[in-house]
Amino acid sequence: MKKLADYMPEISMCVRCGTCRSTCPTLITLGRETASARGKLTLFDACISGEIELSDTFVKHISECLLCGACQQSCPNSIPVPEIIMAARAEIINDRGLPLITSAIMKGLRDPDGFVGKTLKLASFAQRVIFKDTSNTGGLQRRLPLPYITDERLVPPLAKRFFLDEIPLNPPFSKGEIKSPRVGFFAGCLINYVMPDIGLSSLKVLEKTGAAVIVPHGQTCCGMPAISMGDFEDARALALINLEVFEAHDLDFITTSCATCTDGLKNKFRKLLEDESPELKRRVDVFCSKVRDITDLLVNELKLPASMSDLKVSEDGAVVTYHDPCHLRRGLGIKDEPRELIETAGFRIKEMKHPCRCCGLGGSFSITNYDLSSEINMLKAEDIKGTGAEIAATACPGCMVQLRDGLHKIDARVEVKHIVELLADRMG
Amino acid sequence: MLSELVIRSLQVIAGSDNVLTSKEDRLCYAYDATNQIFLPDAVVFPSNAEDVSKVLKLANTERFYVTPRGAGTGLSGGSIPVSGGVVLSLERMRRILRIDTENLIAVVEPGVVNFELQMELGKAGLFFPPEPTSMRYCTIGGNIAECAGGPRSVKYGVTRDYVLGLEVVLPTGEIMEAGTQTVKGVTGYDLTRLMVGSEGTLGIVTKATLKLLPFPKAVNTILAIFNNDYMAGDAAAEIMNAGVNPSAVEFMDMTSVKCTRESERFDFQADSGALLLIELDGERESLERRAGAVSDICLRKGASDVRVVPSKKEVKDLWWLRRSILPSLVKIRPHKMVNDVVIPMSVVSEFLQEVREIERGKVIIIACFGHAGEGNIHVNILFDKNNAEEAGKAKEAVDDIINLTIRLGGTISGEHGIGMTKRVYAGMELHPVAVEVMKNIKEVLDPNGILNPGKVLTEAMSGKQ
Repeated sequence: MKKLADYMPEISMCVRCGTCRSTCPTLITLGRETASARGKLTLFDACISGEIELSDTFVKHISECLLCGACQQSCPNSIPVPEIIMAARAEIINDRGLPLITSAIMKGLRDPDGFVGKTLKLASFAQRVIFKDTSNTGGLQRRLPLPYITDERLVPPLAKRFFLDEIPLNPPFSKGEIKSPRVGFFAGCLINYVMPDIGLSSLKVLEKTGAAVIVPHGQTCCGMPAISMGDFEDARALALINLEVFEAHDLDFITTSCATCTDGLKNKFRKLLEDESPELKRRVDVFCSKVRDITDLLVNELKLPASMSDLKVSEDGAVVTYHDPCHLRRGLGIKDEPRELIETAGFRIKEMKHPCRCCGLGGSFSITNYDLSSEINMLKAEDIKGTGAEIAATACPGCMVQLRDGLHKIDARVEVKHIVELLADRMG
Repeated sequence: MLSELVIRSLQVIAGSDNVLTSKEDRLCYAYDATNQIFLPDAVVFPSNAEDVSKVLKLANTERFYVTPRGAGTGLSGGSIPVSGGVVLSLERMRRILRIDTENLIAVVEPGVVNFELQMELGKAGLFFPPEPTSMRYCTIGGNIAECAGGPRSVKYGVTRDYVLGLEVVLPTGEIMEAGTQTVKGVTGYDLTRLMVGSEGTLGIVTKATLKLLPFPKAVNTILAIFNNDYMAGDAAAEIMNAGVNPSAVEFMDMTSVKCTRESERFDFQADSGALLLIELDGERESLERRAGAVSDICLRKGASDVRVVPSKKEVKDLWWLRRSILPSLVKIRPHKMVNDVVIPMSVVSEFLQEVREIERGKVIIIACFGHAGEGNIHVNILFDKNNAEEAGKAKEAVDDIINLTIRLGGTISGEHGIGMTKRVYAGMELHPVAVEVMKNIKEVLDPNGILNPGKVLTEAMSGKQ
């Protein structure tokens, strides 16, 4: 991975025109230049030239970014700001180290049967003691004081049984035996530990298309939480585990129902391992080229809409509004496929005003900067409410956690669903 | 440097969260779109006119400089704190106070982003005609301070034509109301117009009453491609005399077009030299006839291709292309000197020819684009300041272009302002008596010289010979 100073050519492409001010959700909320990409690039420049140090103020400003990529998209010179921010965060970690707990979790994730899974299982058991169920919102609120989690925050409950524990162990596909596309499903942490139903719906929908689907055992976190914190070392270790686990099966495609995981596996993975041996890089290329978001795979390869055409939009179909996850829209350029699938499932789409504005989750951002995250979330929740839709659909479990919290806060009765859930429900 | 006492007083005035003093924070308020850096000693975020007034009164007693700032997107350094002191950022004052659809006026705070106002007005079928190219992120306060223009000013005029009244905090801290809530009004001297375009040197706008217009019923966009600049310049002049009343006549040379990422979406021929992007608005029935007239003129002036842009998507792409030229020029050379000259329509073509001669003579790249329908051409000299020879030639080229502009009866700035970057040239254009009057006005309003120092006027300025 490139170091902060290696980005000097990109940083000096910033002419400080200010275009990024019009799209940055943290700037729109904070109303301060320090939140803008232009401001941060100025700080990086000063940091590289030694004019300022990795001070607390610097660290705070660098933490105030969702990595949503809106600035890069609007920038006339397409400066890869999120990538540069991650490099800066890596610099900060090198300087200050990771918080102990974070470091332990990241290392623990390397062993899928290790302490992280066991601890979460215990927590799944104990959560009703610590949290109260705010029924019909799909979330929990705390009963006792907890670090990082405020009174009003709606926290998604851990699943009673984790997704990967539900799925039988599959033997690898043998070469050439199966004609239909062989698809490996990557669950990711949120689907595994919190929303196994999305995983189950995904498998149901994939199988409906006639694909041969397996869920390789031993898979772990995609590494995105580590990458976005700038912890490239742990992310690299996780990437190598996933690489081996999926290579063991003879797959045509690797798919996930989490936009963040797709972006991680398809794009960040390659960057993480760009300094490795040619042999390993070749394996990574093969892996990355197989990774497809489930919405993209269902529409463009498995032709699901055609096979469900009898279920097309009915006049009385419920109204759905679609939130574009940053990692899908800007990370992978996918915008039409999710909408097509919503219509395939028989719903009418009513667009919100800013469908591709970030929900404000930004991974650990929502923990370290909860107030700001919440304020950005409010913009999204009001936008959704304004459509009058009964359902807010998206393609990322992370966004779903955030949307539920936001909609709960403004007391909007809008159900938050993953697109694969809409499809699976429709299939009955 | 500001004393501890001053910092504490500023904190009392604006609240301690609204006073920034760390170097990291100050760096983010040290620049604008001219891409130069001058560190302020503190950044203060007032929330109302009283805060602004108190800061200015303190500045007069404690003698520190104050530089007002909107979004920091100006192109002449107007919001850069050249001499340090306090940057007064109006980002927090971003409320739209009133939209009066019966009387077609809006009352806003200075930190409102132009585009956000347009969005709100759009709901009522109205718009605020000044739409500078940076409209998505620049503020109304900045538009007023610089008297911003933009593509549509060819038909609708500039910011000064749409500011009816102002609440301004004078450099000494008094809060003054000027102007009217009505479209006409001649009671007393026109202090509103004195303030509009004064580049934050005579007062800080804290509230503005703006004139609005109903949104045009229909719009037609025409793209014409020419082999060279002069033909395009000629065509622009003729379009302005043809009675078709265009709402934009934008000129772009191919150096400008090709550096934008949007240009990849269009297959411009290799021998294309310049584009005209022409917009007509008004009653739907009239559009076709007017578009036909525009096409005829372009073809007669030698356009190799003229077409009415068919889809909304393509129109949007063309405007994005136009709006992203200036920041994209960095792909050609790392630095630029942005000139914003206005030339009488009849000699625009001649001007463009002479600019190309300067370009060839100095062996330097010059990118030209702008609002050709008004003769407002942005002449950008591209160079690398780390290359002494090139930087020297760039400076000479700017001198030549300024001289040429004045010789042809033009003005050195149409809409970007004089700021810090063009002060040395302003004296070449201004009449000596006018310079004297300007200096007196500044002296009367700002006796201690605390507001936005180092802008517009220089001590040595005496006016043209």
